[in-house]
Amino acid sequence: MEIAAEKKPVVEMRNIKKHFGAVQALRGVDLTLHHNEVLGLVGDNAAGKSTLMKVLSGAYIPDEGEILLDGERASFANPMDARRQGIEMVYQDYALANNLDVAANVFMGREVVRLKLGPLGVMNFPYMEQETQNLLHRLKIDIASVHQKVERLSGGQRQAVAIARATAFDAMVIIMDEPTAALSVAAIDKVLELVCQLKEQGSSIIIISHRLEDIFRVCDRLIVLRQGRKVSDTPVQDDIHEFRERVVAYMIGARDDFAEKSVA
Amino acid sequence: MSFIEDVGKLLRENIREYGMFIALFAIFAFFAVATDGLFVSPRNLVNLVNQTGYIAVLAIGMTLVIVIRHIDLSVGFLAGFLGAIAAIAMVQWNLPVIVVIPFVLFLGILAGRLTSFMVADLGIPAFVATLAGWLGYRGALQLVTTSTGTIVIPNAAFNAIGNDFVPEIPYTWIMPEMHKTTLIFGLLGIVIFATSEIINRARMQRQNIEVPSKAMCILKLVAVSALIGGIAWILAGYRGLSWTAVVVLIVVMVYHFITTKTVLGRHIYAVGGNPEAAELSGISVKKITHVVFGSMGMLSALAGILFAARLQSATTTAGTLFELDAIAAAFVGGVSAAGGVGTVIGSLIGALVMTSLTNGMNLMGIDISYQYIVRAFVLAAAVIFDVTTRRTGN
Repeated sequence: MEIAAEKKPVVEMRNIKKHFGAVQALRGVDLTLHHNEVLGLVGDNAAGKSTLMKVLSGAYIPDEGEILLDGERASFANPMDARRQGIEMVYQDYALANNLDVAANVFMGREVVRLKLGPLGVMNFPYMEQETQNLLHRLKIDIASVHQKVERLSGGQRQAVAIARATAFDAMVIIMDEPTAALSVAAIDKVLELVCQLKEQGSSIIIISHRLEDIFRVCDRLIVLRQGRKVSDTPVQDDIHEFRERVVAYMIGARDDFAEKSVA
Repeated sequence: MSFIEDVGKLLRENIREYGMFIALFAIFAFFAVATDGLFVSPRNLVNLVNQTGYIAVLAIGMTLVIVIRHIDLSVGFLAGFLGAIAAIAMVQWNLPVIVVIPFVLFLGILAGRLTSFMVADLGIPAFVATLAGWLGYRGALQLVTTSTGTIVIPNAAFNAIGNDFVPEIPYTWIMPEMHKTTLIFGLLGIVIFATSEIINRARMQRQNIEVPSKAMCILKLVAVSALIGGIAWILAGYRGLSWTAVVVLIVVMVYHFITTKTVLGRHIYAVGGNPEAAELSGISVKKITHVVFGSMGMLSALAGILFAARLQSATTTAGTLFELDAIAAAFVGGVSAAGGVGTVIGSLIGALVMTSLTNGMNLMGIDISYQYIVRAFVLAAAVIFDVTTRRTGN
């Protein structure tokens, strides 16, 4: 890995503000994600974590503030634009087409064309299937065939496909929105293993989650949001009980590391 | 791994696709016996194909509309109206056929785009938007035929589309009683099918994807070849391939290719499976809606041309209830109302099943009221079969 790239954070969001009507959803949030880091993002409902990630993934345009990717200023017109610039989002409901097979979902919207007939592109099936097979193999995802329809997969397998899709195109950053929310205990283990796998292979990841034990297991650092502000930004440490107690204190407003700043 | 097990496994896994073929075969066998062979006589088979033509064309378009979770009720009267426009263009404006057909197809695309403008851009439910179209085109059809009544089309070239057959190779001395062009078409069909099957199988083996056993593969090749060859042989013994059949075959091949091989087809099914996910993946749901309704409009125009050519005239009630026949054919052919599921070949088979029932029962002299009830049962049975096999699939 290059030394220069190591120095600059992969993502830097500075003083992001966003309001919806009279509601100030984000009141100037800073977020930094370093290369090969797994960052947790927690907060109560309406704390602004989803809004912040929608700003980063191009779904919302911020009122104020700037976004830097690898030190370069960036702006996103829409989610597709953000994706092209290397920001991949894994949605809570997976955003898969259940009627299509695994390979079709991985390449959805990015089909590889073998031959162009006017406006019609003829798809390169062998290439896409082989690439999907390699991807599943590399991430150690247990799915029998890339020809399997998504509707036949379990919840954990679907989440794995959604995550695999996000990693398929050399993303700079992968954002996961509640990746373990709707899963069984065994499936949660698999997904967290997958996250560790991705970190080993060099990915930079942001995880939104309500489940603090998941954050504790896989994240290097944790940001807590409360009422549209960042109230904590610390490495994940201690044992799980102290960690939980501390995070909850930030979430309910009993502690606040950035209090003066908001007054100013 | 025995051969029998292999057959069983293949049947179980593909029961939904093979179900329709089995049903069609059973219906053919039943009517063949019940009518003392009249049903499978070359003359009746040609008639059956020509009757199926315009419904099959509509059913293929409707399949894509239902795949993207919409419906189009306007296609029947749109077909009737555009058939009348074609007749007027030839009779009153004296335009040549070669101009009239592209012109009418273009009008069809425009009509489809009008529907998709309401559905995609204004957000009106397709049911309502196309119900308005149903009323509007019905009125338009009556309006343009009100002064003339039925318009008789005197143009031989146009009427050939609905009544005539592909030309025979002249001056040949081999098999003088057979229609050689038709046999060549049949042979070509077999060759194309066999090569694509073999290439596909080789590719899947290269990629270590599980393929059915060699015996199974050969059985399938032989069965399909026999089917294509048999139909070609029967038709060749009469007057050969009708132009309607040629038109339908072209539509089927083009749409089958688009839906299974191209990015556009993939996007149509993605939109049907999960519109939000498709949009997030950069697929424009609006654009797909425009394309699918545009194609539906064009196919409506084509159906109108086929029907007018078959009757050699444009009538004041042309197209009545075609939309419901097309929707029924699509559902019998395995389209799912939930969206995302349905094939072009399936809809063709569905259309054949529905017209075979009408045709066969007519030959048997069954009262029309019973015919409707029988078709009701077949439609319901097909959808129940589809729903239950889908459930056990999970």
